Amino acid sequence: MKKKILIVDDSQMSRRMLRRIVESAGYEVVEAGDGAAGIEQYFLENPDLVFLDLTMKDMYGLDVLAKLREMDPAARVIIASADIQESTHEMVAAAGADAFINKPLSPEKVLKALETVMSEVKTI
Amino acid sequence: MTLTDRQTDALGEFINIAFSRTASSLSEITGQRVLLEVPQVEIYPIEEVASNLARFLPGDVASIHQPFDGAIAGDAFLILNYEGAVRLTELLTDNGGVRQQYLDESAREVLTEVGNILLNACLGMFGNVLRVRVNFTVPNLHLESLDELIDSVSKEHDGLRYAIIIYTAFRIRESAVTGYLVLVLSVVSLQRLIEEIERWEERQEQEIHTSQNPAKSDLSV
Repeated sequence: MKKKILIVDDSQMSRRMLRRIVESAGYEVVEAGDGAAGIEQYFLENPDLVFLDLTMKDMYGLDVLAKLREMDPAARVIIASADIQESTHEMVAAAGADAFINKPLSPEKVLKALETVMSEVKTI
Repeated sequence: MTLTDRQTDALGEFINIAFSRTASSLSEITGQRVLLEVPQVEIYPIEEVASNLARFLPGDVASIHQPFDGAIAGDAFLILNYEGAVRLTELLTDNGGVRQQYLDESAREVLTEVGNILLNACLGMFGNVLRVRVNFTVPNLHLESLDELIDSVSKEHDGLRYAIIIYTAFRIRESAVTGYLVLVLSVVSLQRLIEEIERWEERQEQEIHTSQNPAKSDLSV
């Protein structure tokens, strides 16, 4: 059975690119176009991993992450954002994200993070 | 001119990346966290540009204006409310904690240089991501009203009837500095920008295809 990946991003283009990269590696993909839909989809689809944008119109990504953690402390979450400020990296790490990748995305960057996080054993 | 949803989305995503680089540079320069809103894309007749920008920043403003040309030509602006501009220069200079009330010669110089760094960080993404060369001229600091500034820009470009305004608000946390990053493009340059963004997406797709079929691509070399 294919592992399921949830992509939460308000950019159709980013979702499209991520979907192609992730599907090319044999994963099943579900999408959400904003933070609230992402939380709902997580509840409905119970994905194995989430790619999560930070700057979205309805919710900031780290607020979405906090909600996901409430629902599932073991949720695997990779933040995918264009924000390269050091303080953002620190906030993302403090919020407990499993990895951070910068946009623009490349297949190498995405798949490396995906494989690393998927191979980690969650003990929470 | 109207953009499809897909074009608007792709443009917004590219600008998000470009403006995020600007925010990162501003964060490095000031040592403060910079909060950036989601970029907005709007098209206006040139005579309506100033009034539409003024609704965000009423009153006196300080604008750093960076014209650029090449395959894509236009005008980039870093627009700060006057008070915010004064506070930004205080963040960047050691003035012994003395509260400034206005932008003196030295502060104007600092502000122009900061604007140059920030706008180049943004416009540099045209080259780095889209592989489109843009040429910069020296940035100018303007302290006149937005009306006068936009009027002077539209007079410089005879063919500029409509302008695409791509803007985002930013705020430096722990300070009173807020402002806008704005790109004004002619319809012709906007069309070119959209084409280049579509090529960028095609290149990304090609990259995915190549990563899926490394053996085939090796053989084709």
